[in-house]
Amino acid sequence: MSAPYAEQKIHNALPKTNHDELSRQHFVRSFKEHIVESLHPGLKLAYEKRAKPQYVAKHQREPGTIQEVGEVMKQDQHYQAWSSLLRTSQEMMWSSTQIPVERAIADLAANATDNTLGSLTLDPQLDIPSYHTAVDIHCQPGGYHTEYIEGDVAQGAIYDRAVYLYAMGQMGSNNADMGDSTVAWLKQTHPEFSPSRILDMGCAVGHSTLPYATGYPAAEVHAIDVAAPMLRHAHARASAMNSAVHFSQQNAERTQFEDESFDLVVSHILLHETSSAAIKNVISECYRVLKPGGWMLHVETPPYGDMEPFDQFLFDWDSENNNEPFWRKSHQLDLDALARNAGFTNEVLQTMVPSSFQETQRTNTFQGGDFGGGGVWFVYGCQK
Amino acid sequence: MTEPSPDDQLELQRKAKGKRPFYFSNPDVDKLLSMIMALTGELAIARDRIDTLERVAETKGLFSSDDIENFELDANALQARADRHRQLLREVNRIIVGELEDLEGANEEDYTAVVEQVEQDDT
Repeated sequence: MSAPYAEQKIHNALPKTNHDELSRQHFVRSFKEHIVESLHPGLKLAYEKRAKPQYVAKHQREPGTIQEVGEVMKQDQHYQAWSSLLRTSQEMMWSSTQIPVERAIADLAANATDNTLGSLTLDPQLDIPSYHTAVDIHCQPGGYHTEYIEGDVAQGAIYDRAVYLYAMGQMGSNNADMGDSTVAWLKQTHPEFSPSRILDMGCAVGHSTLPYATGYPAAEVHAIDVAAPMLRHAHARASAMNSAVHFSQQNAERTQFEDESFDLVVSHILLHETSSAAIKNVISECYRVLKPGGWMLHVETPPYGDMEPFDQFLFDWDSENNNEPFWRKSHQLDLDALARNAGFTNEVLQTMVPSSFQETQRTNTFQGGDFGGGGVWFVYGCQK
Repeated sequence: MTEPSPDDQLELQRKAKGKRPFYFSNPDVDKLLSMIMALTGELAIARDRIDTLERVAETKGLFSSDDIENFELDANALQARADRHRQLLREVNRIIVGELEDLEGANEEDYTAVVEQVEQDDT
């Protein structure tokens, strides 16, 4: 790659890493780049030369579905090696980010309480939804919600660093590309839009939240998540980065915010981590809390739609292999109907928004293990 | 620097909840691949540390990477290294060398025959 090596911008809410811990993390990034650059292209070759001809010989037609591609690809030795390595890279990513946090867990928790900007409101009574607890999403041991000590931030601090490694730095030095890209698109397409209250649903550690606070400095920015460790870290991180955001522990399916109290409601890679029932509730909740004229925008990876069956199969890898049980279904939904049923009547927006990060650093494909590399983001939404 | 004793160290959950998929027809291949990648990672870390060492040494005016490239080992040093390599390879390939030793006849008795023998030697 010609672009200079871009390290994550390190802030005070992250643990100190010693020489070897940092090296271990950088190796994971290199390992993931190797998989993307050197092994991923071979999948198409293996499919065309080996797997597809096998399927055609047996069925006298080409595979037409994810399952049919899988029938032959899962037997292919290159697919097996690629999958095995990709899964391993994911496990090594979490391990490499856990090590420094495990060592510093008490200090991180103590440091996270000293924040002067914005606010943090936790609700220890909030039920963690079953779509979070059934499996640990994208293989983070303990998921978003596990707490080891009082005031714990561990899962948030781990996630913060892991996202940088997962994206191989391709979401920018603050992992903010989804927020940055959406704000840039909003300002370009709706320059007159000036939200005074913004809500980010499923904010995790606030990677995508802060661009809204920066982009609309006059707005009051709220961000919610079900997981307390994420929110504690998010608040500490936002403060460390001099950004005032009001974080609260709430479920996006049913918040405590008043009707028609926001001009802009956003989410980033939230919808695919919910469920069939929950996603309907989330869209309805967006409608309820939006003021008339306000915008709902959900940033995701693109629906499978017209993709070739082979591309769908690869893009679908996370469903079965990275603990993303709702990934497949969420990419096959009737998004128009979802908005209509929630009460939206305006034209439903489904568009690709260019990444605000340098195009040259991206792989320009959506693929298992590199959904941040597409160079574009899919935005789904509607104006109330 | 004081390190906390292993007993005091809180341990995070290291295995993600959810069944771990395996890909090769023999899952042992997946396990071996995972171990090889972990070892490759640790090798990279060791190489990075040496790289840092050289850079620090150069910054501090102690020696440079060129000094290392141009350093000539004498016969004693070469022999010591070769001995270390041989020792390391014997340890790593212990299982294969052990099989050869069996094949050569020192321990070629059928193991089940030995079991039978020790079980029945009080009759």
